[in-house]
Amino acid sequence: MDVIVEDVTQVWPGRRGAPVVALDRFSHRFASRRFSCLLGPSGCGKSTLVQIVGGLETASSGRVRIADPVRPSASRPLGADSVMVWQNLNLFPWRSALDNVAFGLEIQGMPKAERHERAMALLGSVGLRGFEGHLPGQLSGGMRQRVALARALILERPIMLMDEPFGALDAQTKIVMQEELLRLFDETPKTIIFVTHAIEEAILLGDEVIVMTARPGRIKEVLTVELPRPRSLEMVNSKAFGALFDRAFHLIREEVMTSMAQQAQALEAR
Amino acid sequence: MTPTKTALARITERAVPTLVIVAVVLAWELFVRWRGIAAVYLPPPSTIAVYLFRMIADGSIEFNLGVTLLRIFAGFAAAAVTGVTLGVLMGMSRTIARIADPWIAALYPLPKIALIPLLVIWLGTGELNKIVISAITAFFPIVISTYAGIRQTDQGLIKAARDLGANRHQIQLKIVIPAAVPSIFAGLHLGMGVTVILVVAAEMIGSSSQSGMGFLLIQSGQVMETEKVFASLVVLAVVGALIIKLQQWIDRKIAPWTAYRDVN
Repeated sequence: MDVIVEDVTQVWPGRRGAPVVALDRFSHRFASRRFSCLLGPSGCGKSTLVQIVGGLETASSGRVRIADPVRPSASRPLGADSVMVWQNLNLFPWRSALDNVAFGLEIQGMPKAERHERAMALLGSVGLRGFEGHLPGQLSGGMRQRVALARALILERPIMLMDEPFGALDAQTKIVMQEELLRLFDETPKTIIFVTHAIEEAILLGDEVIVMTARPGRIKEVLTVELPRPRSLEMVNSKAFGALFDRAFHLIREEVMTSMAQQAQALEAR
Repeated sequence: MTPTKTALARITERAVPTLVIVAVVLAWELFVRWRGIAAVYLPPPSTIAVYLFRMIADGSIEFNLGVTLLRIFAGFAAAAVTGVTLGVLMGMSRTIARIADPWIAALYPLPKIALIPLLVIWLGTGELNKIVISAITAFFPIVISTYAGIRQTDQGLIKAARDLGANRHQIQLKIVIPAAVPSIFAGLHLGMGVTVILVVAAEMIGSSSQSGMGFLLIQSGQVMETEKVFASLVVLAVVGALIIKLQQWIDRKIAPWTAYRDVN
């Protein structure tokens, strides 16, 4: 499934009447089975964009189309082919790991035995066999992240929207989860839109890195990552990686400066 | 060396609260004997204990406590069922919330004990007036906490459920109501507290009753049997503490996840 974003603008009603433009005429085609990373300073509208694509927010103007490259004429409703993985996970604290993962199937009315069997298999594949009965509160940060990933994967949607999913993890756990995600992507390629503010993460995971500007969020530059798959962490030391990193760093640095200046201005205006 | 030390520290930590209780009781006993205070003003703990055992032996504690507990649980049960139901309905329907709001705002701050004369006129001095007064009082904190809990559901959880395909009805049933459980429990705790207060108070007022711990207290006080007053107070305090512990235990059994806040 392709995600075609056309001239999407999102404006929030700001305080004291001045509207805040979060996204400004954002257009991009997120191709099928391609891992795209949205990289930008905080407040550049990247989270807003994935929520619009997921049908959870309505854009002020512009449109998003989900297109099947095999049957380009059939248009699909937003949200029906995608699933989100959230930065703050949004696990249901009263449900066991198993029932969190099975939630999407339960909603569809799948019988308990069947959905539990599938959730068990998926928990096993993300390394959580034996923890199915645990509550999210009883699991470590990395394990919760796996539960959240499994809860999204179980629906087998062709599009995955990931909003800084590893942002809250410690450095070691983050590396393990990145490897896990790379493995899953190699096994079953999906259209992935991955929001991050970590340059290294964006290059390591993505086929393309879309560098965004500070608010209002626009595309500054799209970098294509030619590193071969399967990817591994050692590639961080390669020359190609270094060149991409320098380029992205240079681009993002300007935007972070702009973003910081905006924040300082907002504080002064208070 | 260190492990033994921490074990010792742990034992001390556990023992200190008990030791403080023992010390207070002992100080009380010694103070009363040293100053020669008359039992009618302040009986020593040893005398209170003797009276307590006597009242247990003649059955007056068991009977009156049993009656009071029945009234407490009847009032609480009525308040819990109606309070949680209305709170959930208010959370689900803006119309219901708008209709109920002025009534709750007006009736909640009213001292419910002021309704006792009216309830005696309407319901007589039998069981019903004490159960109704405690139920009315407990109803408010329960309905308010339930409604607040329903309204304060984490929007992230709702969005996540929507993203996973849940419709409005499924979100309310599977997300909003379970998410409100900690608030509902908090309301039930408050409700239980006021139920105990109101039942005992109602038993004390205007000879509306000839039984219960409140009756025992007022009766003992009127004939200056201060030892019996204290014995009844001890029973009420211990039973109150047990009810709270029982409630906490039930909370953990029904919703063990409430022990872990902020998992997301």
